[in-house]
Amino acid sequence: MRPDIVVAGIGETTPVPADSRSIPEMVLEAVEAALADAGIGHRDLDAVTTASVDMFDGITASNIAVTEVVGAVMKPEARISADGLTAVAHAACQIWSGAYETVLVAAHAKTSIAPHRDLTQWALDPIHVQPLGVDFLTCAGLQARLLADRDPGAERRWAEIAAKRRGGAMSPDRILASPLVASPLRLGMCAVPGDGASAVVLRAKKKGIGGPILAGIGYDLEPHALGDRDLTRWSGLERALDRAGKTAGFEGRRPHFDLAEPSCLFPHEEELFVAAADLDEMTEISPDGGLLAGYIPIVAGLSRMTSATRYFRRNRKAGALALVHGTWGPAAQGQVVAILGGAAS
Amino acid sequence: MRPAAIIGTGQTDHAKSRDDVSQPELVREAASRALADAGLRPSEVDAIIIGNMEMFEGRALPELWVGEGGFANRKPCLKIATGGTSGTSSCIAGFHQAASGVFDIVLVVGFEKHSEGQTQTGMALTDPFWDRGVASGALGNFALSISQYMAERGVTPEQAARVAVKSRRNAAKNPHAHLKDANATVADVLASKVLAHPVRLMDMCPQSDGAAAIVVASAERAKKLCSRPAWVKAATTRHEQPYIGDIDRRLLSMRTLRDASRSVYATAGIREPLKQLDVAEIYEPVTYAELAWYEILGFCSEGQAGRLIEDGVTEIGGELPVNPSGGVLCANPVGATGVIRVAEAASQILGRAGAHQIEGAKTALVTGYGVYAWADAMILGSEP
Repeated sequence: MRPDIVVAGIGETTPVPADSRSIPEMVLEAVEAALADAGIGHRDLDAVTTASVDMFDGITASNIAVTEVVGAVMKPEARISADGLTAVAHAACQIWSGAYETVLVAAHAKTSIAPHRDLTQWALDPIHVQPLGVDFLTCAGLQARLLADRDPGAERRWAEIAAKRRGGAMSPDRILASPLVASPLRLGMCAVPGDGASAVVLRAKKKGIGGPILAGIGYDLEPHALGDRDLTRWSGLERALDRAGKTAGFEGRRPHFDLAEPSCLFPHEEELFVAAADLDEMTEISPDGGLLAGYIPIVAGLSRMTSATRYFRRNRKAGALALVHGTWGPAAQGQVVAILGGAAS
Repeated sequence: MRPAAIIGTGQTDHAKSRDDVSQPELVREAASRALADAGLRPSEVDAIIIGNMEMFEGRALPELWVGEGGFANRKPCLKIATGGTSGTSSCIAGFHQAASGVFDIVLVVGFEKHSEGQTQTGMALTDPFWDRGVASGALGNFALSISQYMAERGVTPEQAARVAVKSRRNAAKNPHAHLKDANATVADVLASKVLAHPVRLMDMCPQSDGAAAIVVASAERAKKLCSRPAWVKAATTRHEQPYIGDIDRRLLSMRTLRDASRSVYATAGIREPLKQLDVAEIYEPVTYAELAWYEILGFCSEGQAGRLIEDGVTEIGGELPVNPSGGVLCANPVGATGVIRVAEAASQILGRAGAHQIEGAKTALVTGYGVYAWADAMILGSEP
């Protein structure tokens, strides 16, 4: 029998465009908060799983910088280079395998120390794509262009979605008047990258350990070349969600989600997300505002998990389910989801 | 941990430069060989783990591009990157996934294509304020520790040279090895140029292009698919604090490797490693490290490593053959190097190691190593 996994503690820094602290200082804040929230210390951790990307941090094995602050000295640490929610998925496998009972998951990125957008070019096929000078933002623009060309009302709708996610800070008209950054995507439609860290403590459920249950995980890697993909839908998310449903015991049916915390960096991604997850109007999406006002690459999916955990602490509806989501790569090539189940006491 | 087993392995032919293939093609070569070895089709793989250090190729998130070389299109795929231990840590991640009940068949592929990057730049990983000016890259770190090791334990350059000779002689039996020389001598090693005193060229591992893969299966699938799987008896990882000066005799004492090996020995019921292990594939980046780690791994008492190599105990045909494949000294595509250790140890248990097969190998030790004194250890066995 595999153990149930509880999200026992969460912690994070406030996302800002540029955090003046070092990477370990940021991570320390998130980790100390998560451990305090779970009511445990470093010594209670069986293992640590971190997520970060060397090229974005500008140093080889950038998790070296955080080994001490995540409490991984003389401990097992798995380090994943992908969205932080994949680290949750892997940590879940570690706990379900019976290897560990308590795993700290931490993700960090500091985009302010380097030209982040340019660095994303280095993740693209260096033979056929990178020489064209495209980057992750241009890839998103190409996808949005494909969608907008078939759908005359799309840009207005996207401006409205972006305005809603920005909490009224910009009107749809102002967003539509903002500069084009990757046609048809305008500045007001694009999430702003920044610096930050998130941490989550996962524990095998035992008496006295409370929190939402991590019921299922799933992830997927789409083909790399945009031309090899159907850019009109997020089929990678559909597959990831089917896999997560299977691990959660929802074989063959999509459950109703009370909450969705997607990692959408552009409004067209939110539409792709809603369609792929087959959500209806009963699902609350990103009540905290989501990522448009500021997101941290690699941290984003894990930060969605902290948001979903806070939701469960506010809403103790029996049987409630949340869909937590992360992406990485060009035009969301990588897709990862976690299904969180109602607060266990 | 619930049981999982390795049912297939595959390697490229490692070389200084594999400019005949792209990175995805290199990955495909190892991945398809591993699947063929396991008797599986790509569609039967549930998840893929890629092991690689992206700065060596100057890439970001390389699995996005090379993933499809590892049959990862439309499948769960993630990358593990922990320096030198990337390969062994990727395999451990594969064990956890195959034992979790989430995935039944996990393909782990490690790769590195050093010829497409600048390795020393990729190794500028020490703390930029405190350590980088003193020791960066592998060589400076090793030279400091080895001088200390020689002074304290009386290990000689001749004894270290014997490790290089053993390695090249063993590699001559291994079709995948990068450096091989059945006729290398101690005099050759001692005549090779000094890189950083006391380390000579032939003491040091090469930079290679190459990839290696293993297929890990859940217990149920392993029993169905393989008549003699290599079972994962125990596996663990230890990471270390980052500052060179903060731990006395850092590489010499390798408290991480000592602790990791004691942990897997305890789990697997190994009290006398020299007697109970049939073969070891250890991650020895430099000849002197192999000697130091004979002591740390409990193959001999402190200061006796030189005698172990002189007496031929760790040769093929000795009491405990260490690195019958030729080891890291003969092939070192970093992201793959740890996977090669696991693949070689698993091949010994599977009985598919070819000319360097240790007859009747039932219990194997694997170690992984990273320049920050990170260590992985695992025990593979012929019984679950």
